[in-house]
Amino acid sequence: MSKLLLALLVGLSLSTSAFAGDLVKMKGKTEGRTNHEFIYEDGCQSCHQGSGKKNATDSACVECHGDINSIEIDESKLAIEEANPHKSFHYNQGASCLACHGEHEKKAPVCAECHRTWFDVM
Amino acid sequence: MQDRRSFLKLGAGAALGGLASTMPGTVMASECGEIKWDESADVIVVGSGFAGLSAALNVKRSGVGSVLVLEKMQVFGGNSAINGGWLAIPKNPTQLAQGVNDDSPEELVKDQIISGRGMQNEAMLRQIANRALDAYDLCIETGVKFRKDFNIQVGGHNKARAIRTQHGTGGDITTKLYEAGVKEGIDYRLQHYIEDFIMDGQEIIGLKVRQNYRFPDLKTGKSIYIKANKAVVLANGGFARNMELRAAVDPSLDPTLDGTNALGATGEVTLTAMAHGALPVHMNLIQTGHWGSPDEGGFGWSNALLSIGWHEGISVSVLNGKRYMNERADRKTCSEAIMKNRYQDGSPAYPVVFFNHKDHPDDDRVVRALRDDMAWKVDSFEQLAEKFNIPLTQLKQTVKEFNAQVSTRQDPLFGRKMDTAVELKPPFVVSRIWPKVHYCMGGLKTDIGARVIDGRSMKPIRKLYAIGEATGGVHGEARLSSTSCLECLTMGIVVSETIKSDV
Repeated sequence: MSKLLLALLVGLSLSTSAFAGDLVKMKGKTEGRTNHEFIYEDGCQSCHQGSGKKNATDSACVECHGDINSIEIDESKLAIEEANPHKSFHYNQGASCLACHGEHEKKAPVCAECHRTWFDVM
Repeated sequence: MQDRRSFLKLGAGAALGGLASTMPGTVMASECGEIKWDESADVIVVGSGFAGLSAALNVKRSGVGSVLVLEKMQVFGGNSAINGGWLAIPKNPTQLAQGVNDDSPEELVKDQIISGRGMQNEAMLRQIANRALDAYDLCIETGVKFRKDFNIQVGGHNKARAIRTQHGTGGDITTKLYEAGVKEGIDYRLQHYIEDFIMDGQEIIGLKVRQNYRFPDLKTGKSIYIKANKAVVLANGGFARNMELRAAVDPSLDPTLDGTNALGATGEVTLTAMAHGALPVHMNLIQTGHWGSPDEGGFGWSNALLSIGWHEGISVSVLNGKRYMNERADRKTCSEAIMKNRYQDGSPAYPVVFFNHKDHPDDDRVVRALRDDMAWKVDSFEQLAEKFNIPLTQLKQTVKEFNAQVSTRQDPLFGRKMDTAVELKPPFVVSRIWPKVHYCMGGLKTDIGARVIDGRSMKPIRKLYAIGEATGGVHGEARLSSTSCLECLTMGIVVSETIKSDV
């Protein structure tokens, strides 16, 4: 996985904006996040174990980004200080990355089901 | 029978790695040779709310073996993670420190009997109340923080016995139970949807599970078979989010009613248990609250905001600018009056509730409601009328009449008790209201040890247990607030003791 991590570092140095990266066309009709561009060059298997048709799990995300509590976010953008989705009162470590983040499409985070004004579709 | 059972055991041992993907969609234990188990666990817990998490931790600690928790959503905690964090504990330390010395488990049961209106399971309620301090200890020991010096009397309770978690959400409990369980070696899985039970006669031997499922799309993920060596604990919660089931069991429940529950509260595991003979009871007893707001999800801020509005303000129909009910009447009376507010096509004409802003400018109940756009500050009658399309002349007339009633302390229109009413003058805090479905009193019938009862034999289905909102008949007609969390945590302890005694 060192190749992945190195590629990630290069990726980060190129784009320092956005939490999750903007959504752009990656391969054919498939959209993806700009900060994940390098992963698409390696093929779907980097995230989808075995086949692109199989659902990805958190393991691919955690491998590069670390666990949920350790991923820093821009706290100045939070609606209120307590509404930090990576340190959620409701779920804390018990949330899948996929509950809030979509790689191939925009997604409303799980928090927005109730707190409708706190979070935008990402 | 003997042959089949021995084959199943053999199959379970032989099928490491799993050929499940090549198997037919449905499997019956009687079709010898079809089951290839992908995995096995000693105890499988279905659902990860208060009940499931408490059961998992207590079963693990009882030493009966490995524990696997299956949650279909992408977060652990179920509806408990978004609940209000209220917990009724007779004789809790804060209550005693407040000098409330005359409470007891029996006092709580007394309140629940009144609320249950004869339909409750008294023996079960007594067992739960008697174990309340065990549930409290479980929280403290796993690191749950409660609000300091906070213990109050809530609706329907005759004593101040309700404590509340630090951040006012059940997530304060579910996160701690989950994290304790991770440390103690429990295997928790997200996105595992229960497709079917694998039965051997009146015994459950495993589960057909859709792995990597993405709610609500049943085409996602793939089917696997997980063997349950010793027990399956159903802690899958209620079904308030299953609109078809709701309508089937209680046709009087209006389809325009949103719910306070997490989206996963759809009850399909309860239905699967029923399909295998489990006896459902009280399925039509579904609790609604008249305090909901259409401008936020979940339980939200509305109930707390209306604790001001019902007393100091008025509720007005947007259709004609008039009051239409006694704002302080009970849940059922208010719900019915509110839901009569409809446009000609039958769609809801959400009524408004408003009160004086100047009396509560810094009250947290007001501040957060305005901040999150579920309530608004309006500076004049004109602004109020325009924003919600209320006839202005009548609106002014209604407030004028109400203010006259405030001075006489009489409400000839609706008989409201006027002791807390306040003369109304803009600027106002205004919010919209519509009832919400909140809790299912009905579900699977169990014995006192949480064993699921087969309706045909009225005997337990072997190795199958159910606890929490998935069960029925515990609370009777109406559940009191702060008692569901208590039930779930406590029954997680009880079921671990039952499993230990059954294996």
